[in-house]
Amino acid sequence: MKQLITASGMLLLLALTGCVPVKAWERGDLARPEMAFEPDPMLAGYRRHVEFSKEAASGGPVLSGGGCGCN
Amino acid sequence: MKPTRMNKTTALQALTSAALAIPGLAAAEVQTEYLYAHYQEADLPASKGVGQSSERYEINSHRFRLTSPLGEATAALNLTLESMSGASPWYIMPDANGKLTQIMSGASISEERADVEATLAYPVGDVQVAVSLGYSKEDDYEAVNGGAEFEHTPEGQAYSFSGGIGYSYDRLEPTVGRSSLDVIRKADRDSLNVYGGVSFILGPQTVLQTSLGYALGDGYLSDPYKRAYIQSQTDHIPDNRPGERSSWTASARLRHYVAPLGAALHADYRYYDDEWEVTAHTLDIAWHQTFADTWRLTPSLRYYSQSQAYFYAPFYQNVRADGLASSDYRLSPYGALSLRLDLRKAIGAWELGGGIERYEASADYALESVKVENPGLVEYLALSFKLAYRF
Repeated sequence: MKQLITASGMLLLLALTGCVPVKAWERGDLARPEMAFEPDPMLAGYRRHVEFSKEAASGGPVLSGGGCGCN
Repeated sequence: MKPTRMNKTTALQALTSAALAIPGLAAAEVQTEYLYAHYQEADLPASKGVGQSSERYEINSHRFRLTSPLGEATAALNLTLESMSGASPWYIMPDANGKLTQIMSGASISEERADVEATLAYPVGDVQVAVSLGYSKEDDYEAVNGGAEFEHTPEGQAYSFSGGIGYSYDRLEPTVGRSSLDVIRKADRDSLNVYGGVSFILGPQTVLQTSLGYALGDGYLSDPYKRAYIQSQTDHIPDNRPGERSSWTASARLRHYVAPLGAALHADYRYYDDEWEVTAHTLDIAWHQTFADTWRLTPSLRYYSQSQAYFYAPFYQNVRADGLASSDYRLSPYGALSLRLDLRKAIGAWELGGGIERYEASADYALESVKVENPGLVEYLALSFKLAYRF
Protein backbone atom coordinates (compact mmCIF):
# COMPACT_ATOMS: atom_id res chain seq x y z
CA MET A 1 0.00 0.00 0.00
CA LYS A 2 2.86 2.36 0.88
CA GLN A 3 4.46 1.68 -2.50
CA LEU A 4 1.13 2.36 -4.15
CA ILE A 5 0.71 5.75 -2.49
CA THR A 6 4.30 6.71 -3.30
CA ALA A 7 3.92 5.71 -6.93
CA SER A 8 0.63 7.61 -7.22
CA GLY A 9 2.09 10.71 -5.60
CA MET A 10 5.04 10.71 -7.95
CA LEU A 11 2.84 10.32 -11.00
CA LEU A 12 0.56 13.13 -9.87
CA LEU A 13 3.50 15.41 -9.16
CA LEU A 14 5.03 14.64 -12.52
CA ALA A 15 1.79 15.43 -14.29
CA LEU A 16 1.07 18.62 -12.34
CA THR A 17 4.53 20.03 -12.90
CA GLY A 18 4.42 19.17 -16.57
CA CYS A 19 0.89 20.44 -17.24
CA VAL A 20 0.95 23.26 -19.79
CA PRO A 21 -1.82 25.37 -21.29
CA VAL A 22 -2.55 24.28 -24.85
CA LYS A 23 -4.94 26.34 -26.94
CA ALA A 24 -7.92 24.66 -28.52
CA TRP A 25 -6.48 25.12 -32.01
CA GLU A 26 -3.27 23.40 -30.91
CA ARG A 27 -5.08 20.23 -29.95
CA GLY A 28 -5.44 18.77 -33.41
CA ASP A 29 -2.92 16.00 -32.80
CA LEU A 30 -4.50 15.17 -29.45
CA ALA A 31 -7.82 14.69 -31.24
CA ARG A 32 -6.47 12.03 -33.58
CA PRO A 33 -8.21 8.67 -33.12
CA GLU A 34 -4.89 6.90 -32.53
CA MET A 35 -4.21 9.28 -29.62
CA ALA A 36 -7.26 8.10 -27.67
CA PHE A 37 -6.56 6.24 -24.44
CA GLU A 38 -8.23 3.29 -26.16
CA PRO A 39 -8.34 3.68 -29.95
CA ASP A 40 -10.12 0.33 -30.32
CA PRO A 41 -12.29 -0.21 -27.22
CA MET A 42 -13.78 -3.45 -28.51
CA LEU A 43 -10.42 -5.14 -29.09
CA ALA A 44 -9.01 -3.71 -25.87
CA GLY A 45 -12.02 -5.05 -23.95
CA TYR A 46 -11.56 -8.49 -25.43
CA ARG A 47 -7.87 -8.62 -24.55
CA ARG A 48 -8.52 -7.36 -21.03
CA HIS A 49 -11.09 -10.09 -20.59
CA VAL A 50 -8.56 -12.75 -21.59
CA GLU A 51 -5.84 -11.31 -19.36
CA PHE A 52 -8.17 -11.08 -16.38
CA SER A 53 -9.07 -14.73 -16.90
CA LYS A 54 -5.42 -15.80 -16.82
CA GLU A 55 -3.75 -13.47 -14.33
CA ALA A 56 -4.18 -12.60 -10.65
CA ALA A 57 -4.13 -8.83 -11.16
CA SER A 58 -6.94 -6.83 -12.69
CA GLY A 59 -8.41 -3.34 -12.52
CA GLY A 60 -7.35 0.13 -13.52
CA PRO A 61 -9.35 3.04 -14.93
CA VAL A 62 -12.17 0.71 -15.98
CA LEU A 63 -15.25 -0.78 -14.35
CA SER A 64 -15.66 -4.51 -13.84
CA GLY A 65 -18.43 -5.93 -15.92
CA GLY A 66 -20.29 -9.20 -15.51
CA GLY A 67 -18.26 -12.16 -14.29
CA CYS A 68 -17.49 -15.28 -16.22
CA GLY A 69 -16.48 -18.82 -15.44
CA CYS A 70 -13.16 -18.62 -17.19
CA ASN A 71 -10.68 -21.41 -16.80
CA MET B 1 -14.85 -22.55 -13.01
CA LYS B 2 -12.91 -19.76 -11.48
CA PRO B 3 -15.14 -16.74 -11.06
CA THR B 4 -13.15 -13.98 -12.63
CA ARG B 5 -14.04 -10.38 -13.10
CA MET B 6 -14.61 -9.45 -16.66
CA ASN B 7 -13.41 -5.95 -17.17
CA LYS B 8 -15.45 -4.10 -19.66
CA THR B 9 -14.37 -1.09 -21.58
CA THR B 10 -14.85 2.15 -19.74
CA ALA B 11 -18.20 3.29 -21.01
CA LEU B 12 -17.11 6.84 -21.64
CA GLN B 13 -14.00 5.67 -23.43
CA ALA B 14 -16.05 3.33 -25.53
CA LEU B 15 -18.37 6.12 -26.55
CA THR B 16 -15.65 8.55 -27.40
CA SER B 17 -12.53 8.12 -29.41
CA ALA B 18 -10.99 11.53 -28.91
CA ALA B 19 -8.43 12.32 -26.26
CA LEU B 20 -8.73 14.73 -23.38
CA ALA B 21 -10.68 17.95 -23.66
CA ILE B 22 -11.75 17.48 -27.22
CA PRO B 23 -15.19 18.90 -28.03
CA GLY B 24 -17.93 16.56 -29.21
CA LEU B 25 -17.86 13.73 -26.67
CA ALA B 26 -20.99 12.09 -27.94
CA ALA B 27 -21.04 10.00 -31.09
CA ALA B 28 -22.39 11.97 -34.03
CA GLU B 29 -23.26 8.97 -36.15
CA VAL B 30 -24.46 5.41 -35.86
CA GLN B 31 -21.58 2.95 -35.58
CA THR B 32 -21.66 -0.80 -35.86
CA GLU B 33 -18.76 -3.08 -35.06
CA TYR B 34 -18.11 -6.79 -35.16
CA LEU B 35 -15.09 -8.57 -33.72
CA TYR B 36 -14.32 -12.25 -34.12
CA ALA B 37 -11.53 -13.71 -32.03
CA HIS B 38 -10.10 -17.19 -31.89
CA TYR B 39 -8.17 -18.06 -28.74
CA GLN B 40 -6.10 -21.23 -28.53
CA GLU B 41 -3.98 -22.35 -25.59
CA ALA B 42 -0.93 -24.48 -26.32
CA ASP B 43 -1.18 -28.05 -25.08
CA LEU B 44 1.01 -28.94 -22.15
CA PRO B 45 4.07 -30.99 -23.07
CA ALA B 46 3.91 -34.64 -22.03
CA SER B 47 6.64 -33.96 -19.47
CA LYS B 48 4.32 -31.55 -17.60
CA GLY B 49 0.75 -32.65 -17.95
CA VAL B 50 -1.27 -35.81 -17.76
CA GLY B 51 -4.97 -36.49 -17.60
CA GLN B 52 -7.74 -37.82 -19.75
CA SER B 53 -7.35 -34.79 -21.94
CA SER B 54 -4.35 -32.52 -22.25
CA GLU B 55 -5.91 -30.30 -24.90
CA ARG B 56 -6.26 -26.93 -23.28
CA TYR B 57 -8.80 -24.21 -23.79
CA GLU B 58 -10.04 -23.00 -27.14
CA ILE B 59 -12.48 -20.09 -27.31
CA ASN B 60 -14.32 -18.56 -30.22
CA SER B 61 -15.72 -15.12 -29.48
CA HIS B 62 -18.17 -13.01 -31.46
CA ARG B 63 -18.63 -9.44 -30.28
CA PHE B 64 -21.18 -7.02 -31.67
CA ARG B 65 -21.53 -3.37 -30.83
CA LEU B 66 -24.04 -0.73 -31.87
CA THR B 67 -23.56 2.92 -30.92
CA SER B 68 -26.05 5.62 -31.76
CA PRO B 69 -26.73 9.26 -30.87
CA LEU B 70 -30.03 9.85 -29.05
CA GLY B 71 -30.52 13.60 -28.94
CA GLU B 72 -27.80 14.87 -26.64
CA ALA B 73 -27.15 11.37 -25.36
CA THR B 74 -25.32 8.41 -26.85
CA ALA B 75 -26.51 4.84 -26.45
CA ALA B 76 -24.48 1.68 -26.93
CA LEU B 77 -25.43 -1.97 -26.98
CA ASN B 78 -22.82 -4.70 -26.68
CA LEU B 79 -23.40 -8.38 -27.26
CA THR B 80 -20.83 -11.14 -26.76
CA LEU B 81 -21.30 -14.78 -27.69
CA GLU B 82 -18.57 -17.26 -26.86
CA SER B 83 -18.07 -20.98 -27.20
CA MET B 84 -15.42 -22.63 -25.08
CA SER B 85 -13.98 -26.12 -25.04
CA GLY B 86 -10.98 -27.96 -23.69
CA ALA B 87 -9.46 -29.21 -20.48
CA SER B 88 -8.00 -27.13 -17.69
CA PRO B 89 -5.45 -27.65 -14.91
CA TRP B 90 -6.97 -29.62 -12.03
CA TYR B 91 -4.23 -30.17 -9.45
CA ILE B 92 -0.47 -30.74 -9.27
CA MET B 93 1.09 -33.93 -8.03
CA PRO B 94 4.75 -34.39 -7.04
CA ASP B 95 6.53 -37.66 -7.71
CA ALA B 96 9.04 -39.35 -5.41
CA ASN B 97 11.81 -37.10 -6.73
CA GLY B 98 9.77 -33.94 -6.22
CA LYS B 99 9.10 -33.44 -9.93
CA LEU B 100 5.72 -31.76 -10.49
CA THR B 101 3.09 -33.09 -12.84
CA GLN B 102 0.05 -31.07 -13.82
CA ILE B 103 -3.07 -33.21 -13.70
CA MET B 104 -5.64 -31.93 -16.18
CA SER B 105 -9.40 -32.08 -15.72
CA GLY B 106 -10.75 -35.44 -16.80
CA ALA B 107 -13.59 -34.21 -18.94
CA SER B 108 -13.27 -31.73 -21.73
CA ILE B 109 -15.42 -28.74 -20.86
CA SER B 110 -17.69 -27.44 -23.59
CA GLU B 111 -20.05 -24.55 -23.07
CA GLU B 112 -21.45 -21.27 -24.34
CA ARG B 113 -21.45 -17.81 -22.83
CA ALA B 114 -23.66 -14.87 -23.68
CA ASP B 115 -23.12 -11.37 -22.39
CA VAL B 116 -25.22 -8.30 -23.09
CA GLU B 117 -24.58 -4.78 -21.90
CA ALA B 118 -26.32 -1.46 -22.50
CA THR B 119 -24.78 1.94 -21.86
CA LEU B 120 -26.26 5.43 -21.98
CA ALA B 121 -23.99 8.47 -21.89
CA TYR B 122 -25.39 11.97 -21.53
CA PRO B 123 -24.30 15.43 -20.47
CA VAL B 124 -25.30 16.79 -17.07
CA GLY B 125 -24.26 20.43 -17.18
CA ASP B 126 -20.61 20.28 -18.18
CA VAL B 127 -20.13 16.78 -16.83
CA GLN B 128 -20.42 13.77 -19.10
CA VAL B 129 -22.13 10.87 -17.34
CA ALA B 130 -22.57 7.26 -18.43
CA VAL B 131 -24.63 4.52 -16.82
CA SER B 132 -24.51 0.88 -17.81
CA LEU B 133 -26.27 -2.38 -17.08
CA GLY B 134 -25.12 -5.85 -18.05
CA TYR B 135 -26.06 -9.50 -17.82
CA SER B 136 -23.89 -12.55 -18.45
CA LYS B 137 -24.98 -16.20 -18.60
CA GLU B 138 -23.32 -19.54 -19.18
CA ASP B 139 -24.11 -23.09 -18.11
CA ASP B 140 -22.68 -22.76 -14.64
CA TYR B 141 -22.39 -19.03 -14.18
CA GLU B 142 -24.67 -16.01 -14.10
CA ALA B 143 -23.87 -12.38 -13.39
CA VAL B 144 -25.73 -9.08 -13.24
CA ASN B 145 -23.77 -5.87 -13.12
CA GLY B 146 -24.27 -2.13 -13.24
CA GLY B 147 -22.13 0.94 -13.09
CA ALA B 148 -21.86 4.71 -13.45
CA GLU B 149 -18.98 6.82 -14.71
CA PHE B 150 -18.31 10.51 -15.20
CA GLU B 151 -15.85 12.77 -16.95
CA HIS B 152 -15.39 16.48 -16.45
CA THR B 153 -13.04 18.99 -18.03
CA PRO B 154 -13.05 22.40 -16.36
CA GLU B 155 -13.47 25.04 -19.05
CA GLY B 156 -10.22 26.26 -20.50
CA GLN B 157 -8.12 23.90 -18.38
CA ALA B 158 -5.50 21.42 -19.49
CA TYR B 159 -6.76 18.66 -17.24
CA SER B 160 -9.89 16.61 -16.74
CA PHE B 161 -11.33 14.35 -14.07
CA SER B 162 -12.90 10.97 -14.51
CA GLY B 163 -14.22 8.30 -12.20
CA GLY B 164 -16.59 5.41 -11.86
CA ILE B 165 -18.27 2.93 -9.57
CA GLY B 166 -19.44 -0.55 -10.50
CA TYR B 167 -21.19 -3.45 -8.79
CA SER B 168 -21.70 -7.05 -9.83
CA TYR B 169 -23.61 -9.97 -8.35
CA ASP B 170 -22.34 -13.33 -9.59
CA ARG B 171 -23.79 -16.77 -8.97
CA LEU B 172 -22.25 -20.09 -9.93
CA GLU B 173 -23.56 -23.61 -9.99
CA PRO B 174 -20.86 -26.13 -10.98
CA THR B 175 -21.86 -28.57 -13.70
CA VAL B 176 -18.86 -30.89 -13.42
CA GLY B 177 -17.99 -32.95 -10.34
CA ARG B 178 -21.42 -32.64 -8.74
CA SER B 179 -21.26 -36.29 -7.68
CA SER B 180 -18.37 -35.46 -5.36
CA LEU B 181 -19.54 -34.62 -1.87
CA ASP B 182 -16.95 -31.89 -1.36
CA VAL B 183 -17.82 -29.93 -4.53
CA ILE B 184 -20.11 -27.01 -3.80
CA ARG B 185 -23.61 -27.06 -5.24
CA LYS B 186 -24.18 -23.29 -5.44
CA ALA B 187 -22.29 -20.19 -4.45
CA ASP B 188 -22.34 -16.46 -5.04
CA ARG B 189 -20.27 -13.36 -4.63
CA ASP B 190 -20.55 -9.58 -4.63
CA SER B 191 -18.02 -7.31 -6.28
CA LEU B 192 -17.56 -3.60 -6.02
CA ASN B 193 -15.01 -1.49 -7.80
CA VAL B 194 -14.31 2.23 -7.97
CA TYR B 195 -11.70 4.32 -9.73
CA GLY B 196 -10.78 7.96 -10.08
CA GLY B 197 -8.31 9.61 -12.39
CA VAL B 198 -6.94 12.85 -13.71
CA SER B 199 -5.79 13.44 -17.28
CA PHE B 200 -3.31 16.15 -18.12
CA ILE B 201 -2.29 17.76 -21.37
CA LEU B 202 1.47 17.95 -21.19
CA GLY B 203 1.83 19.58 -24.60
CA PRO B 204 0.23 19.81 -28.06
CA GLN B 205 1.26 16.20 -28.71
CA THR B 206 1.27 14.65 -25.26
CA VAL B 207 -1.38 13.63 -22.77
CA LEU B 208 -1.05 11.68 -19.53
CA GLN B 209 -3.70 10.00 -17.41
CA THR B 210 -3.07 8.87 -13.85
CA SER B 211 -5.62 6.94 -11.83
CA LEU B 212 -6.25 4.98 -8.67
CA GLY B 213 -8.60 2.04 -8.42
CA TYR B 214 -10.03 -0.07 -5.63
CA ALA B 215 -11.93 -3.35 -5.83
CA LEU B 216 -13.54 -5.58 -3.25
CA GLY B 217 -14.75 -9.13 -3.79
CA ASP B 218 -16.88 -10.78 -1.12
CA GLY B 219 -18.28 -14.32 -1.11
CA TYR B 220 -17.14 -17.47 -2.88
CA LEU B 221 -13.80 -16.59 -4.50
CA SER B 222 -12.50 -20.15 -4.89
CA ASP B 223 -12.52 -22.27 -8.03
CA PRO B 224 -14.86 -25.27 -7.75
CA TYR B 225 -13.06 -27.03 -10.62
CA LYS B 226 -9.64 -26.94 -9.06
CA ARG B 227 -8.07 -28.95 -6.28
CA ALA B 228 -4.84 -29.03 -4.25
CA TYR B 229 -2.76 -32.12 -3.51
CA ILE B 230 -1.92 -32.94 0.12
CA GLN B 231 1.14 -35.14 0.21
CA SER B 232 0.64 -36.53 3.72
CA GLN B 233 -2.86 -37.68 2.76
CA THR B 234 -1.90 -38.78 -0.78
CA ASP B 235 -5.15 -37.13 -1.79
CA HIS B 236 -6.46 -33.82 -3.07
CA ILE B 237 -8.84 -31.36 -1.48
CA PRO B 238 -11.03 -28.58 -2.95
CA ASP B 239 -9.50 -25.23 -3.86
CA ASN B 240 -10.26 -22.99 -0.88
CA ARG B 241 -9.50 -19.26 -0.85
CA PRO B 242 -10.39 -16.47 1.57
CA GLY B 243 -13.93 -15.12 1.23
CA GLU B 244 -12.79 -11.55 0.80
CA ARG B 245 -10.28 -9.88 -1.45
CA SER B 246 -9.58 -6.18 -1.68
CA SER B 247 -7.14 -4.75 -4.18
CA TRP B 248 -5.64 -1.42 -5.21
CA THR B 249 -4.24 -0.27 -8.52
CA ALA B 250 -2.24 2.77 -9.55
CA SER B 251 -2.13 3.35 -13.29
CA ALA B 252 -0.58 5.76 -15.75
CA ARG B 253 -1.27 6.04 -19.46
CA LEU B 254 0.85 8.24 -21.71
CA ARG B 255 0.02 9.18 -25.29
CA HIS B 256 2.52 11.02 -27.45
CA TYR B 257 2.09 11.93 -31.09
CA VAL B 258 5.30 11.72 -33.10
CA ALA B 259 4.39 14.18 -35.84
CA PRO B 260 7.40 13.66 -38.14
CA LEU B 261 6.58 9.95 -38.36
CA GLY B 262 2.78 10.25 -38.25
CA ALA B 263 2.58 7.82 -35.38
CA ALA B 264 1.28 7.70 -31.82
CA LEU B 265 3.27 6.14 -28.98
CA HIS B 266 1.24 4.57 -26.17
CA ALA B 267 2.84 3.64 -22.85
CA ASP B 268 0.71 2.16 -20.06
CA TYR B 269 1.82 1.06 -16.61
CA ARG B 270 -0.20 -0.45 -13.77
CA TYR B 271 0.82 -1.39 -10.26
CA TYR B 272 -1.44 -3.85 -8.44
CA ASP B 273 -1.52 -4.84 -4.78
CA ASP B 274 -4.08 -7.02 -3.01
CA GLU B 275 -5.10 -8.50 0.32
CA TRP B 276 -3.84 -11.93 -0.74
CA GLU B 277 -0.33 -10.40 -0.93
CA VAL B 278 -0.22 -10.51 -4.70
CA THR B 279 1.63 -7.59 -6.23
CA ALA B 280 1.90 -7.18 -9.97
CA HIS B 281 3.44 -4.87 -12.54
CA THR B 282 2.09 -4.45 -16.06
CA LEU B 283 3.79 -2.47 -18.81
CA ASP B 284 2.22 -2.09 -22.22
CA ILE B 285 3.95 -0.26 -25.08
CA ALA B 286 2.27 0.26 -28.46
CA TRP B 287 3.20 2.10 -31.63
CA HIS B 288 0.25 3.21 -33.76
CA GLN B 289 1.66 3.89 -37.21
CA THR B 290 -0.65 5.46 -39.80
CA PHE B 291 0.37 5.31 -43.43
CA ALA B 292 -1.24 6.19 -46.75
CA ASP B 293 -3.98 7.91 -44.69
CA THR B 294 -6.17 4.82 -44.48
CA TRP B 295 -3.88 2.15 -43.05
CA ARG B 296 -2.79 1.73 -39.47
CA LEU B 297 -0.28 -0.82 -38.24
CA THR B 298 0.10 -1.32 -34.49
CA PRO B 299 2.84 -3.48 -33.05
CA SER B 300 2.73 -3.73 -29.27
CA LEU B 301 4.51 -5.41 -26.41
CA ARG B 302 3.04 -6.22 -23.01
CA TYR B 303 5.03 -7.32 -19.99
CA TYR B 304 3.44 -8.66 -16.82
CA SER B 305 4.88 -9.98 -13.55
CA GLN B 306 3.14 -11.09 -10.37
CA SER B 307 4.09 -12.46 -6.97
CA GLN B 308 2.19 -15.37 -5.45
CA ALA B 309 -0.82 -15.33 -3.12
CA TYR B 310 0.25 -16.03 0.47
CA PHE B 311 -1.65 -19.33 0.65
CA TYR B 312 -0.64 -20.64 -2.78
CA ALA B 313 1.55 -23.72 -3.17
CA PRO B 314 1.95 -26.14 -6.07
CA PHE B 315 1.12 -28.86 -3.51
CA TYR B 316 1.02 -29.06 0.29
CA GLN B 317 2.79 -31.36 2.73
CA ASN B 318 -0.12 -31.02 5.16
CA VAL B 319 -3.36 -29.08 5.23
CA ARG B 320 -2.72 -25.47 6.29
CA ALA B 321 -3.90 -24.46 9.75
CA ASP B 322 -6.28 -21.92 8.23
CA GLY B 323 -7.64 -24.50 5.78
CA LEU B 324 -6.77 -22.42 2.73
CA ALA B 325 -5.42 -24.17 -0.34
CA SER B 326 -4.88 -23.31 -3.98
CA SER B 327 -2.49 -24.61 -6.61
CA ASP B 328 -4.00 -22.46 -9.34
CA TYR B 329 -1.26 -21.20 -11.66
CA ARG B 330 -3.04 -17.83 -11.68
CA LEU B 331 -2.05 -17.36 -8.04
CA SER B 332 1.53 -18.57 -8.58
CA PRO B 333 4.59 -16.35 -9.11
CA TYR B 334 5.43 -15.82 -12.77
CA GLY B 335 5.90 -13.31 -15.54
CA ALA B 336 4.36 -13.10 -19.00
CA LEU B 337 5.33 -11.60 -22.29
CA SER B 338 2.85 -10.79 -25.00
CA LEU B 339 3.60 -9.73 -28.58
CA ARG B 340 0.85 -8.30 -30.79
CA LEU B 341 0.42 -6.97 -34.26
CA ASP B 342 -2.79 -5.31 -35.47
CA LEU B 343 -3.68 -3.89 -38.86
CA ARG B 344 -6.60 -1.62 -39.77
CA LYS B 345 -7.78 -0.34 -43.14
CA ALA B 346 -10.47 2.29 -43.69
CA ILE B 347 -12.47 2.08 -46.91
CA GLY B 348 -15.01 4.87 -46.98
CA ALA B 349 -17.44 4.23 -44.15
CA TRP B 350 -16.04 0.74 -43.62
CA GLU B 351 -13.15 -0.38 -41.49
CA LEU B 352 -11.51 -3.76 -41.83
CA GLY B 353 -8.84 -5.25 -39.67
CA GLY B 354 -7.09 -8.19 -38.15
CA GLY B 355 -4.64 -8.96 -35.43
CA ILE B 356 -2.49 -11.61 -33.88
CA GLU B 357 -1.20 -12.04 -30.35
CA ARG B 358 1.17 -14.54 -28.80
CA TYR B 359 1.24 -14.76 -25.00
CA GLU B 360 3.67 -16.80 -22.97
CA ALA B 361 3.82 -17.10 -19.18
CA SER B 362 6.97 -18.36 -17.51
CA ALA B 363 8.75 -18.25 -14.18
CA ASP B 364 11.78 -16.97 -16.12
CA TYR B 365 9.91 -13.75 -16.94
CA ALA B 366 9.09 -12.94 -13.31
CA LEU B 367 10.71 -9.86 -11.77
CA GLU B 368 11.62 -11.81 -8.67
CA SER B 369 13.25 -15.24 -8.71
CA VAL B 370 10.81 -18.13 -8.58
CA LYS B 371 11.78 -21.29 -6.72
CA VAL B 372 9.25 -23.63 -8.29
CA GLU B 373 7.46 -22.90 -11.54
CA ASN B 374 3.82 -23.94 -11.74
CA PRO B 375 3.59 -26.51 -14.56
CA GLY B 376 0.17 -25.23 -15.61
CA LEU B 377 1.31 -21.78 -16.80
CA VAL B 378 -0.44 -20.79 -19.98
CA GLU B 379 0.76 -20.02 -23.46
CA TYR B 380 -1.74 -18.94 -26.09
CA LEU B 381 -2.26 -17.58 -29.55
CA ALA B 382 -5.17 -15.24 -30.31
CA LEU B 383 -6.28 -14.19 -33.78
CA SER B 384 -8.85 -11.48 -34.37
CA PHE B 385 -10.83 -10.08 -37.26
CA LYS B 386 -12.75 -6.81 -37.15
CA LEU B 387 -15.38 -5.20 -39.35
CA ALA B 388 -16.97 -1.81 -38.64
CA TYR B 389 -19.36 0.45 -40.49
CA ARG B 390 -20.51 4.02 -39.83
CA PHE B 391 -23.68 5.49 -41.28
